[in-house]
Amino acid sequence: MKLFTYIFFLIFFTQSAISSSDREIEIYKNIRCLVCQGQSLNDSNSDFANDLKKIIKDKIDQNETDKQIYKYLVDRFGDWILFDPPVKITTIFLWIIPLLVLISGFYVLYKKVSFIKNRDD
Amino acid sequence: MKNQFKILILALVFFIFVLTFYFALGTNNKNNTQVMVSKKLPRIELTSLYEEEKKISFPKINFKNYYIINIWASWCVPCRDEHPFLMKLANENKVKIFGINYKDSKMNALTFLKELGNPFYEIGIDSNGQNSIELGAYGVPETYLIDNNGIIVLKHVGPINKDMYQKILDKIK
Amino acid sequence: MASNLGLICLSLALLTSIFLILSFTKHAIFKTDLNYKNFYFSFKISFFLILLAFIFLIIAFIFSDFSILAVYENSHTDKPLFYKISGTWGNHEGSMLLFILVISLYGFLFILFSKNLSPDLKSVTIFFQSIIQIIFLIFLIFTSNPFEKILPVPNQGLGLNPILQDPLLALHPPFLYLGYVGFSLLFSLLLAALVINQYDSRWASIAKRWIFLPWTFLTFGIGLGSFWAYYELGWGGYWFWDPVENASLMPWIASTALLHSILVMEKAKKLFNWTAILAILTFVLSLFGTFLVRSGILNSVHAFANDPSRGFFILIIISGLTFAAFVIFILKSSKEEKNNQSYIFLSREFSVLVNNYLLIFALVVVIIGTTYPIILSVLTSESISVGPNYYNSILAPFVFIFLILMAMGPYLKWGKNFFISIKYRFLNFLLGSIFITALLSFVLHNYDIIFWLGISCSLYLLISIIYEAYYLRFSNLNFGRLFSHAGFGLLIFAITLNHFFSKEFTAKIPIGESATYENFKITFVKSSSTKEKNYDELFGYYEVTKGNRTIPLKPSIRKYHQPEQFTAETSIKNKWFSDFYLAMDYSKDPSSGIGIRFYFNYLVALIWASFVLIILGGFLAFIQRKNEKSI
Repeated sequence: MKLFTYIFFLIFFTQSAISSSDREIEIYKNIRCLVCQGQSLNDSNSDFANDLKKIIKDKIDQNETDKQIYKYLVDRFGDWILFDPPVKITTIFLWIIPLLVLISGFYVLYKKVSFIKNRDD
Repeated sequence: MKNQFKILILALVFFIFVLTFYFALGTNNKNNTQVMVSKKLPRIELTSLYEEEKKISFPKINFKNYYIINIWASWCVPCRDEHPFLMKLANENKVKIFGINYKDSKMNALTFLKELGNPFYEIGIDSNGQNSIELGAYGVPETYLIDNNGIIVLKHVGPINKDMYQKILDKIK
Repeated sequence: MASNLGLICLSLALLTSIFLILSFTKHAIFKTDLNYKNFYFSFKISFFLILLAFIFLIIAFIFSDFSILAVYENSHTDKPLFYKISGTWGNHEGSMLLFILVISLYGFLFILFSKNLSPDLKSVTIFFQSIIQIIFLIFLIFTSNPFEKILPVPNQGLGLNPILQDPLLALHPPFLYLGYVGFSLLFSLLLAALVINQYDSRWASIAKRWIFLPWTFLTFGIGLGSFWAYYELGWGGYWFWDPVENASLMPWIASTALLHSILVMEKAKKLFNWTAILAILTFVLSLFGTFLVRSGILNSVHAFANDPSRGFFILIIISGLTFAAFVIFILKSSKEEKNNQSYIFLSREFSVLVNNYLLIFALVVVIIGTTYPIILSVLTSESISVGPNYYNSILAPFVFIFLILMAMGPYLKWGKNFFISIKYRFLNFLLGSIFITALLSFVLHNYDIIFWLGISCSLYLLISIIYEAYYLRFSNLNFGRLFSHAGFGLLIFAITLNHFFSKEFTAKIPIGESATYENFKITFVKSSSTKEKNYDELFGYYEVTKGNRTIPLKPSIRKYHQPEQFTAETSIKNKWFSDFYLAMDYSKDPSSGIGIRFYFNYLVALIWASFVLIILGGFLAFIQRKNEKSI
């Protein structure tokens, strides 16, 4: 039933095409759709995602920067809504732990290696 | 001896691991965005459900008491579950509740209220959901308790249950 | 009826396994003789019983026996037969049964293909495998019984999620399980060797194939999932660093490190302890992945069966098995390794050591990225997300180093520094790769540093492999390594080009109108709709024009009936070097036009081809019987 409604509207409503810019897509990809399971706004068709996309589009049209848009969202929904983790004291270990592993692994390699005179066979 | 020490450390590590993930299993509060708590309520303006010319704006500037904002819709099933609590808060506890009617039709909204009772002091319309997003809500129902300074004191995602009702009562005392 | 028989089979399998454990324990403690033939026969019986139970469940799904809860919750009489069958493992209980079946299957295969193994090693391995089997059978029967009944018997089922009604996705779990669950056997084999003190380089020769087999299946399962995500999900991508994807990647990385370190164990008689740790770690990561996916902890498109109580049981099982395994390791680990600790710089074993170092680094990054949000929320109630940028930005530079190592490592010799005599060879490879990269860069107008690194390093690897295959022509070419390394080189080559030359564009186009983006024009020509057995479908006829080519695409939106759900079916046309990919968006407000997502995906076919190469390499490594001479 709904499908036929689509066709009805398609035939009788003509507007020109609206498309999303590269910058929009990049922002949408970085924002989590809160009512979906792990999808970004760009990958979601839910009402919430569409509503939020509209709001963001308006903000872009009003010349807001990416940072301002993200701040708007984080102020209201928390760090969770962004896919890029924020860099703060509680999240710094995301980068420190791999760095520690890298350094200690390198140290292990250094301890284990032995340089002997090169000899061909 | 050295082996026993290693095993002890191992046991400790596993204990911490199990404990952490046990708690992780319990706390699945991802949906309860509490970031807005202790922040000032953002400014929004809605059209009244009853009169098209009337505007309802938030935050309420001259309010001396706490007030509640409840986002609801006639098509929202959990809204029916929490409605009795809203009625209690409005009638017994004398709290002013402002309703935001989310993506609804006027007729359905009024029918809903006629059927279940009207706890709302005033009702504004959010037809495209954008005002609710401005407040940090992303679905229905959601409820805010705001103090006389316009600060959000409590925020609840989902229908109000007994716990939440009690929390609200505790705050407004 | 089938449900009763199924449960009986499972119970009998459990009893048989317990009998196995008891009889072995008696033999171990009282040193009585073990009738090996009967022992293995009993295990085979347990396998057939589990298989029979699984078949009964499939039959129940085929005949829509709604007296069984799992069938009621996950099937429907309108489902096509193929999906009725695959619905058997499309739910938590059924998939756990499949999980156990694979554990038992690997034990069964091990018995069949280990004729010349020392009886102690063989029997103790089956002993441990039986323990694992018992633990999961108990978990299954008591918390996740697939044959649980429902009364009164409903007339109709609740239907299977339409997203799961896809042939590729139906095959995805079985292959993944044949992969990561298969590492259970290596785990048992390791513990057995440690316990009876037969953990040495001979063990490494025997154990290799029990790494290559599951590794190949796991790679195939991951590739299948990626392939499905690309063709079905409609977002133009093939890997999203989604936590559930990561859950399968973690054992993959660990097992890749393992299959390299076990070679060092076999050839250079080093890395004994490290290999043991990796063997335990691989299986533990498989279980941990299972836990993450089923416990409801993760928030992902893939996550199913969000049941915290079951999650808790799995958590206990993992912890118990891991703890016990590490205790055995600590008590029985190789003490003799203390003398054998140095690695000659630029020897073959040193290059594998560096390989493991980098792989473990990658593994740590994936584990941290996946579990950090969970742990943080427990400790501080903060919620964060860790998205693709984190993984890509940290891991990318290491991939380049990796490619270079893979190119040079195989030319090095075991036990000595052979580099100097062949360094001119490497110089030639370098010149060749830089030359071709420069050519490509000029032709394609891309001068990005990442482009240069990605292309030149992958070419460096590919050139070194081609050189080895054609010019050295040793009698014992290691086809397993050649194919899998070539596949990886090709994969990075394809991913780099795909990253730089793919395009993405979304728009709302009313009927009869067009939208343009760079040199693409997309026109919405017309639409039509059909009614199928379990869904209605709305087709959109579009034409995409690029330059002088016009390509018709026909994406659609489906509305399923049971349960009611909308899905978007993508329309993809593959034109050798690129895919034209179009998907429609469904929304409740059709008056503003139907949204489309267009992706121009460059060289995706090459990505799939490289997966095939890698899998082929794994398979060849598995069947390669002879102990190839060190090249």
